[in-house]
Amino acid sequence: MDLAIRDLKLHKGRFLATIIGVGMLFTIVLTMNGIYRGNISDGIAIIAHTGPDLWVVERDRGGPFNEQSSMSEFFHYSVAAVPGVQKASPFIYYPVERQIKGESRRFSIIGYDVFGGMGGPRQLTQGRAINQAHYEMVAHAKLGLKLGDQVPLGLHTFTVVGLTREAVATDGEALVYLSLADAQEILFQRDNEAIRNQRLRLRHSLTQEGLSPAQADKLLPAVQPDTHLVNAILVQLAPGANPAQVAKHIEDWLYFSVFTTAQEIQLVIRGRLARMSSQLLFFRVLLLIVSAVIISLVIYTFTMEKIRSIAVMKLIGAPNLVIVRMIMEQSLFMTLSSFLLGLLIIHSIVHLFPRKILLLPPDTLLTFAVALLGGIIASVLGIWQVLKTEPAMALGGQ
Amino acid sequence: MAVLEITGLTKIFGSGRLEVRALDKVSLAIQAGELAALMGPSGSGKTTLLLCISLILEPTAGSVVFDGETIYQDGWTGLDVRRRRREKIGFVFQAANLIPFLTARENVLFPLNLVGLDKKAAERRVRELLDYMEIAERSHYLPALLSGGEQQRVAIARALANRPKLILADEPTASLDTARGQKVMEMLKKIARENQTAVITVTHDARMIEGFDQIYHLEDGRLKNQV
Repeated sequence: MDLAIRDLKLHKGRFLATIIGVGMLFTIVLTMNGIYRGNISDGIAIIAHTGPDLWVVERDRGGPFNEQSSMSEFFHYSVAAVPGVQKASPFIYYPVERQIKGESRRFSIIGYDVFGGMGGPRQLTQGRAINQAHYEMVAHAKLGLKLGDQVPLGLHTFTVVGLTREAVATDGEALVYLSLADAQEILFQRDNEAIRNQRLRLRHSLTQEGLSPAQADKLLPAVQPDTHLVNAILVQLAPGANPAQVAKHIEDWLYFSVFTTAQEIQLVIRGRLARMSSQLLFFRVLLLIVSAVIISLVIYTFTMEKIRSIAVMKLIGAPNLVIVRMIMEQSLFMTLSSFLLGLLIIHSIVHLFPRKILLLPPDTLLTFAVALLGGIIASVLGIWQVLKTEPAMALGGQ
Repeated sequence: MAVLEITGLTKIFGSGRLEVRALDKVSLAIQAGELAALMGPSGSGKTTLLLCISLILEPTAGSVVFDGETIYQDGWTGLDVRRRRREKIGFVFQAANLIPFLTARENVLFPLNLVGLDKKAAERRVRELLDYMEIAERSHYLPALLSGGEQQRVAIARALANRPKLILADEPTASLDTARGQKVMEMLKKIARENQTAVITVTHDARMIEGFDQIYHLEDGRLKNQV
């Protein structure tokens, strides 16, 4: 005869209400797990999918994802000339917010060498890769664009030639792939009015320094801001090349910082994702404690309500184990049911979240183990009450 | 042979100026099939004596011999008292004290499960007891759906489940009207006679103990007289 189930059946209203309440808490805990994993997954997706052997970035910078990195495009020729390097490609990664179909949308632009360079999308869900030097784009499906859509960006209008779902930006937003030249133009090229204004300002400064207008006009092109910039250079090593040696060579001779893809991922995880991770961890621990406290209080209340029955059981000779088992079973049953409800809810609503919620079985199992431990701890208060209940209470004495 | 024999049983609560002598050298013996009543005013020590006989409360001095085994002799003798309670003593309370989340049938089944009786035999015994207490048709009801008298009959069936040597009844008629109270007392008498079970009842109501074999009067922890 299962005393725990019999008792719960009698109090099924309160029991169900508790399960729903605690189940919701577990839903939040599991959602936090998913947000945490989703953020990491999104945060490193672009790095993992780009996946070169080495990332060459501005010296002493953790770029291009963890912080800004800027270098001249032409250095990819120097990097390509380093022994052990099979291929070196310029790469631009830049988050922007622009109008698309009348709506302000956040996304990140990737500029890459579309003619055989690295950094482009590998898998397309629709359409084709960029095969012209200008005015074509491949967009992430998240942006809601269709093949053939015309998207004005900067000074030009781009045609969507391909759609992908492969990777997202480090902040989980969509990616837009452009040719390197187009990306540079969108990101660094000012509009004509701004260029004219700047040219006039520079010309004025130079003539103020004592140059004649003719001399100033000759100098102007040399002092214009450079738009041939990139954020990183992607390196593919030659077969058998030692990555550490190649990296050291580039660092020593070209004065850049070099990371492998694994290091680049760690930079992001330990950098911009670290604080968010600890924040979510703290929040998850708090929620688990709250769940355990609620179960503990409910079990304690259940126990207190049947304290006379417990005294009767003890008086008629029931071993403590029988009663302790009843309390423990109720606590574990409540924890298990709440957890399963939480799991059911999160799996039903996971697709409704605007950002990626990545539910991994090991995380769910670990949360379940912690919840189970919480359930056992939660029953301690009730068990303590059982152990100190005097059987004499049943006789109305003591 | 006496089912229960207590000799010079003393129970003192507190010490020094706060000392209360709840029982003072109480001696009595109850034989199998005998009906005994414990009477006395409030605070006379009836409940304390009942607790000591129930093997719940440790006396301060004296001896308790139960079913031929010395349970207490100026200290517990180390026998498993909870097991003796489980196997050899039945309890009937002032309120029925049924376990509210178990049906009438399950309440009677519970002590049988505790002693590990096999399922078939336990079910047979439950049916037999509920028939005996004339409550079989209500066996699937939860206690809250039974009347006070019905609850008390289920409680007696539970007390009888393991064929106890001794039934201890703590004012079993206190929460019942006279007619129902008398019916319960008749049942206890019937049980004592038919099953050779010793019955000790604590009661305030002299009308309920007609036909009892022994009546003990307690006053200030002492047995004053024995009828």
